[in-house]
Amino acid sequence: MTERVPPRRPATFKLTDPSVVLIDSDDGNLGGTSHATASASSSSSASSSSAPPPRARVQLAHEKEPPIVAPKPPASLINPKMGFRWGTLFWSAATGLVTLAFWLWVSKLIEDLFAQSQTLGTVGMILALLAGGSLAIIVGREAFGLIRLARIEQLHARAAKVLETDNRAEARAIIRELLKFEHPNPQLARGRATLEKHIDDIIDGADLIRLAERELMTPLDIEARVLISKAAQRVSMVTAISPKALIDVLFVAIAATRLIGQLARLYGGRPGALGMLKLMRQTVSHLAITGGIALGDSVVQSVFGHGLASRLSSKLGEGVLNGMLTARLGLAAVDLTRPLPFNALPRPQLGDLVKDLMKKREKED
Amino acid sequence: MAFSFSDLVEEAWLSARALKDYSENIFNPTIRLGVTGLSRAGKTVFITALVHGLCRGGRFPIFESMSTGRIATARLAPQPDDAVPRFGYEGFLATLMEQRNWPSSTVDISELRLVIDYQRKNGAERTLTLDIVDYPGEWLLDLPLLNKSYEKWAAESLALSRQDPRRRVAVDWHAHLATLDPNGRENEQETLVAARLFTTYLRDCRNEQFAMSLLPPGRFLMPGNLAGSPALTFAPLDVPMDGTPPERSLWAMMRRRYEAYKDVVVRPFFRDHFARLDRQIVLADALSAFNAGPEALQDLEAALAGILDCFRVGRASVLSTMFRPRIDRILFAATKADHLHHSSHDRLEAILRKLVERAMQRAEFAGATVDVVALAAVRATREAQVQRGRDRLPSIVGTPIKGEMADGEVFDGETEVATFPGDLPTNLQGLFKGEDTFRGLAAGSHEDADFRFLRFRPPRLDTHDPDGPALPHIRLDRTLQFLIGDKLQ
Repeated sequence: MTERVPPRRPATFKLTDPSVVLIDSDDGNLGGTSHATASASSSSSASSSSAPPPRARVQLAHEKEPPIVAPKPPASLINPKMGFRWGTLFWSAATGLVTLAFWLWVSKLIEDLFAQSQTLGTVGMILALLAGGSLAIIVGREAFGLIRLARIEQLHARAAKVLETDNRAEARAIIRELLKFEHPNPQLARGRATLEKHIDDIIDGADLIRLAERELMTPLDIEARVLISKAAQRVSMVTAISPKALIDVLFVAIAATRLIGQLARLYGGRPGALGMLKLMRQTVSHLAITGGIALGDSVVQSVFGHGLASRLSSKLGEGVLNGMLTARLGLAAVDLTRPLPFNALPRPQLGDLVKDLMKKREKED
Repeated sequence: MAFSFSDLVEEAWLSARALKDYSENIFNPTIRLGVTGLSRAGKTVFITALVHGLCRGGRFPIFESMSTGRIATARLAPQPDDAVPRFGYEGFLATLMEQRNWPSSTVDISELRLVIDYQRKNGAERTLTLDIVDYPGEWLLDLPLLNKSYEKWAAESLALSRQDPRRRVAVDWHAHLATLDPNGRENEQETLVAARLFTTYLRDCRNEQFAMSLLPPGRFLMPGNLAGSPALTFAPLDVPMDGTPPERSLWAMMRRRYEAYKDVVVRPFFRDHFARLDRQIVLADALSAFNAGPEALQDLEAALAGILDCFRVGRASVLSTMFRPRIDRILFAATKADHLHHSSHDRLEAILRKLVERAMQRAEFAGATVDVVALAAVRATREAQVQRGRDRLPSIVGTPIKGEMADGEVFDGETEVATFPGDLPTNLQGLFKGEDTFRGLAAGSHEDADFRFLRFRPPRLDTHDPDGPALPHIRLDRTLQFLIGDKLQ
């Protein structure tokens, strides 16, 4: 057994006592200091036992042992970072060279222009500066978008962890960040106000996350569902009437990209071009992972259920299938762009969306 | 144990009534929520706060159906069972809110019917009837007696009373017991004395200094209308486990009365109330046990284990709801969580989880859902930080009840104080094995105790609210969500 630290004695204080500080519990900043004092006082308590007041350890139990340990994904056997990364070095060096060449070319150009005439030179200079400035802004926005996407991912992972560990302080930190994150969304004003009212209540971590999900995500989820089924409907309609397969493919690609962008913006992300590329890649790989599961639950049933429609008209069947593909892409994108995991609210099912799709079809027919 | 004929009859009876209940419930679903706990655990306050919160619409963010506005109204309905007293909700609420006193304790079973009009998530309008059944936890401790012979019970009670710290309280009774001859002629006067001394011993075990919990037979402490009847006038004798009493002996008389106690008191309770529950919340006051000492904590564990062995748990299926209702959700609540700073709530929950560990495993194995929560149905305190030397003590602020003492000071019931009750232990293994324990009031004076949980008066309420004041609480919404949230989907 470990050495026994004497527990802190119970004590009672008058409210007129100057040492009593009435504060609302905010364990965020206390948690940080407590560990430092814990180590300091436990080492000093043995030597300086004569000093009466600080005789005990500070231990604020914010962190509970996780009751259920989630199975960790097994670490990959092949270490990807083995050896020196020559490829990276090559690309960095090459990019550097190209940048230098570009710079040289621009400065040469402007020098030549100045040599031609003062006015031309000035115009060229201004154009170059404008191009440079806007490039910087574009890069900044891309970077900002990527950071925001990464933050969403992080929030999602942290929230999923809190749902298991029920850690109160962490849940509060997540909610605070989420509130800041969703601040620009006017739809959520009421939900944000409710959450802010409850953030200092004594609520367990997992419950707090669920509450936030219910308050903030409900309107967004409804809108997401509408967006997805609209996109799916559009795709299935275009496929049904389009004369060429190439047009179908192009249209599906465009519609899917647009849908992913809309979903990302809906949940608070601001993806630029790079962010969109990243999201697209993630969505497709997410779809590949979850595809098997989705096939298991409802797709098979819906495909066979709507076999009748496809027998009537092969174009119609293709349309439904393409629409479903779009819907699945949309659902995968929701998983990726939503800052909180689905827990208190039901995850939209492909089946529901297919129903929307068929309803629309029937109405049109 | 082989089933006797009477057991079979009993089961058939239960099934018949279950079927009747079921047919009545098809269109108007009813949940029977059992609220129990050992005395002073806070049952009455819990029910009062729950009913008030549902009827008035409390601040329940976690209780999904209320916070999303799907509960239209909740109202009290006439009490359905004619033979059971009604839970005196209005009186208790007045005591709590106007006089700022805690209601007096439950002495008998009582019941209250609450009707909740709600709308399902798909839009359908429904009504849920919630029958809240309040009964003393001590009665539950009697249920194991059904399977125990007099001799076995006597031997166990005696063994228990010879352990510390009970031995000190039992001195008088033990002295009297030594004068009794079980094989002697039956004697009403001697029996009366023995029963009185035995009851006094049980009662003394329960006070704040010792806070023992495992004290069957429970009706001795809360006799109700049976006070003085022969069924409550017996006491353990020092008799061999497998002997037969001579006719007309003291032993035979005690044994007869013990059997009568089982027939008159225990079995009707089991049949009429206990076997019909759907949901159960068990309230336990772990903090008083900490106040008193490690023995009280171990005793609480034994008592809770005894209580839990009685529940008929398991996942409810259609067939089981028709013929043999089971409790499919059990919540263990450590009450009076407002006596601790919230940063210690996780430890309190961990301790309670440890206390009911075995029972939880059994219930989960049977398919029931079990959870543990640190609860304060009415929150009497606020939180504060107190700087002492280099320490910041997470403390609570409240008005102690008149007559409470701490640090040699007696409170008048009007002034507010901040108190730091002590750090709850984290080493749970050692705590229950008897190592690394703490000192409580049972071991010595107030100054030595490692914990001091003061009792506080109910909070002063904000009376400006047009709906009338709401009662503050800690995790009452989570409790409700767990107990009835799934029925309001």
